[in-house]
Amino acid sequence: MRVFLLKAAATVLTIGATVSSALYVTSHLKNPAAPLQPPVLTAGDGSSATALGGTLTLGPSVQPSDVEPMTSTYAS
Amino acid sequence: MHPELSVNAHHFEAMGTTCSLFVVGQSRGRLLEGESWVRHVGARLTRFALDSELSRLNARAGEWIEVSEEMEAVLRAALEAYAMSSGLVNAAVLPSVLAVGYTRPLVEGPTVATLDRVGPTPALPEVLEVGGRGARVRTGSSLDLGGIAKGWMADRLVELLGPNALANLGGDLRAAGTGPRGDGWPVGVGCATLMLRDQGAATSSVRHRRWGEMHHLIDPRSGLPAKTGLDEVSVVAASGFEAEVIAKTALLLGPALAPAYCAAHAMASWLAVGRDD
Repeated sequence: MRVFLLKAAATVLTIGATVSSALYVTSHLKNPAAPLQPPVLTAGDGSSATALGGTLTLGPSVQPSDVEPMTSTYAS
Repeated sequence: MHPELSVNAHHFEAMGTTCSLFVVGQSRGRLLEGESWVRHVGARLTRFALDSELSRLNARAGEWIEVSEEMEAVLRAALEAYAMSSGLVNAAVLPSVLAVGYTRPLVEGPTVATLDRVGPTPALPEVLEVGGRGARVRTGSSLDLGGIAKGWMADRLVELLGPNALANLGGDLRAAGTGPRGDGWPVGVGCATLMLRDQGAATSSVRHRRWGEMHHLIDPRSGLPAKTGLDEVSVVAASGFEAEVIAKTALLLGPALAPAYCAAHAMASWLAVGRDD
């Protein structure tokens, strides 16, 4: 008898969890048209600095240097 | 960092801008091969020569045209740029570019603007088909490959130059290898010098190539010169092509969204706000 009650309780618990999960998911639908606005303002462990009218943000894969640049991204 | 190795450099004018090539451990002949490749491919992709592949494609809109391997690759890159930028980088802006007066190289001066005829740019996948070494542009549409072509070319060119090289095609650049000292290639990006290794960089700006109220950067949402509150965006990314797309997209997104967009897509970024906004 006890075994039967344990099995029945486990079954009821499983079905209940499934139903309540399904109800939660269907009532919290993701809006696929929502605009992408990631809540990230700077890269992971990057750094950010403001100078000369702009903001420079560096990610971990880019290192600044004091040496004279050989060239730049500015078009002629 | 190891002792500084000697760098061979070569500068020349091509595609209406200054090109700079740098190599470590390669001969000057390799640099001249690079220049030759730039002139050869650039001549196919320019809109300023009537006999270029791009001009033929635009002039024969509505027809399937056989294209070279390079042209096919750049057209596919343009479609990829459109998808990556959710439509903000759109090579089909040429009618608007012409309407603002950018009908010839700016060293020859702009022509009269006719903005009454411009409107939002059509979606690139709706006006450009590419397949089997052929392409077709929809009647009434035309393409300007501009920065997309230069970013794509910098990526291909650096492979031609060697394992430790840097190619800068008018501001769209790609670095390969560890540079002359082993710690990267020093490149001016925004207000800083950054050391690039196997990375690309580009600047999108409305501070240059402008005349009166006009400038060359078209916002495809309006078909008019962009006015987003940002004047200049420079980014470092995995390739020159990606850097070009990310920089232009960020500039068009404006100061509210560009920081988050760059944080998500760029390895480094420089955002400069408009001086008169």
